[in-house]
Amino acid sequence: MDALEGCGGMRDDPIARVLDDLLKFDDILACMVARRNMISVEPSGGTSSFKPEVYDIWDLIKRAMDDVFNVISQYSQVGLGEMEFRLRDYEVIFFVLPDTDNALVAIVPALANKGLLEVELENARRDIIRILEEKGDEKRVTV
Amino acid sequence: MSDDGLLLMNTEGSSAGKSSDVFLNMEGKRDVDKVSDFEAAVGMSRKWDAYEAGRETAESTIRQLKRPPDFFLLFSTIHYDKHGGFQRLLDGVWSVLPEGTPLIGGTVAGFINPQGCYTRGATALAVSYPNMDVAVGYGKNTKRNPKKAARQCAEMIKKGLKNSKYHNNFIFDIISGGLIPQIPGVGRRKVIRGVLSKIAIHLSNFSLIILQKGVGREEELLNEFEKYFKDFYILHGSSMDDGKATTNYQFIDKTVETNMIVALGINTDLTMDINQSHNFKEMKRFYVTKLSKDKRIIHMINNKPAACEVLTLLGWPDDFFDEKLFKRTFFCPVSYIDNDRLIPEIIGIIAGNSITVLHGIKNKEMAFLSASGKNLIEAVTYCLGSLDCKNSVFGLISTCDGRLETLGYKIFDIKEKITEQFGEKPFLAIYCGGEGIKKPNESFRYGNLTFNAFIMKKHLNKII
Repeated sequence: MDALEGCGGMRDDPIARVLDDLLKFDDILACMVARRNMISVEPSGGTSSFKPEVYDIWDLIKRAMDDVFNVISQYSQVGLGEMEFRLRDYEVIFFVLPDTDNALVAIVPALANKGLLEVELENARRDIIRILEEKGDEKRVTV
Repeated sequence: MSDDGLLLMNTEGSSAGKSSDVFLNMEGKRDVDKVSDFEAAVGMSRKWDAYEAGRETAESTIRQLKRPPDFFLLFSTIHYDKHGGFQRLLDGVWSVLPEGTPLIGGTVAGFINPQGCYTRGATALAVSYPNMDVAVGYGKNTKRNPKKAARQCAEMIKKGLKNSKYHNNFIFDIISGGLIPQIPGVGRRKVIRGVLSKIAIHLSNFSLIILQKGVGREEELLNEFEKYFKDFYILHGSSMDDGKATTNYQFIDKTVETNMIVALGINTDLTMDINQSHNFKEMKRFYVTKLSKDKRIIHMINNKPAACEVLTLLGWPDDFFDEKLFKRTFFCPVSYIDNDRLIPEIIGIIAGNSITVLHGIKNKEMAFLSASGKNLIEAVTYCLGSLDCKNSVFGLISTCDGRLETLGYKIFDIKEKITEQFGEKPFLAIYCGGEGIKKPNESFRYGNLTFNAFIMKKHLNKII
């Protein structure tokens, strides 16, 4: 989790580039690495790069996300892997980063082919974990 | 991963399929008739730009081979449609691939290879082997005239393999999969109610024949195709997009096409095997009492309107028939019985009280099937377990997008199951919109939600 601190606005952040790739999917309306009350990493273009249809419901989704993160923070250390909820015409999918309070979060239309998107969310989660581990290794080397 | 970002397979080990080993047989004796000079390699790209993706896919594949490939199978997801187009993808491939290499392929929903699982990107399987004859064929307008397309393709392959001295025969084919019909006045919908439903049924034929948007008619094509290849193994997959069923493409040599069958025929001295599984269990039987002429639209079940009767038999509420129905029925498809086998069929369009399926039904005695995610994953072990994958030189798998949509990120478990069976051997699994197999001197077995695997094997012969 320490490795995620300070990542939020960095243009050359490799995690932001992973999110940029996800945003290129038509059906991924928004994505971020987040925890309760905080977006840890945004895509390179920030929240303004989210697809416009999300903005009308963004405040509502953010409040619901925070409630979900209450659960994630309680159970992520004991193996909670994924969560999702549906709100109106959208689904919000959480891929928890193991042993952290953070999750990769994606907002997709309710009728999206979620199975296909999940495969790429899992690839993104694995990429993010690898980046965080490499950052952890770098810090250890620096020390 | 190389410094320039190209994906590399381990060229030292057998993941590139170099079979220059001498084998010990079951009695511990050395076999000298090794599969000399056989090479197979799998490469891929995750680049977004179509040309760069094509170039990287080809380069990452053929750099693992010592000799030029004898054939090249190329698959990609639909995303390149908006990132340069598929002609650019092929241009990128051919900027690297040796001129004249037989190439076929198409768009798929996703793929699994030794590097991982993907629903975005491009991948390829290339093989090089001196004791092999290869021919490609194609047929056009598969939805308008499937039999003619089958004959056209079959005749090309027969001609190309006419002088082959080898007796082990295999064809891999890709056929343009089904598209949601574009019905005048109705548009593209999966559930059509009221008066529009009657119009939809009548005009669906117009959409299919004139616009070539509708069911893929793969079974009509394959039934004709197999007449030419009785003693062949055949592995089939239907090309598709990302599940929206609005478009799909096929690749043949340097061109991109639609509504085609493309096929690769091989005669070789290597032995081979093929298998299919789905692991669905029968839940409840029913009887179709009124079927359309093309046998794809079920009008009446148990003498009652089909759609209503399905809801009753499954215990579902009426509002389950909405635009998400397609995905619900992945876990409980319908099936008919063919030669003692249950053939799963995905429920397609609901038009009023009629239900469409994607292939013509052969037997009016039908059943609902059911499977859990665990069942779907175990189907992989059942299929591959009987194939001696560890002694293969490569594996090619055609499986259903319905399984991908249902399992989602759990297909990483599927990848683990495949890797358990193949070890370091190269393999490629593609997610298609319809699939099937044929064994020598047997009929085609096609359907949905199946897992189909083909392997070529080391041929152990002389013993010293």
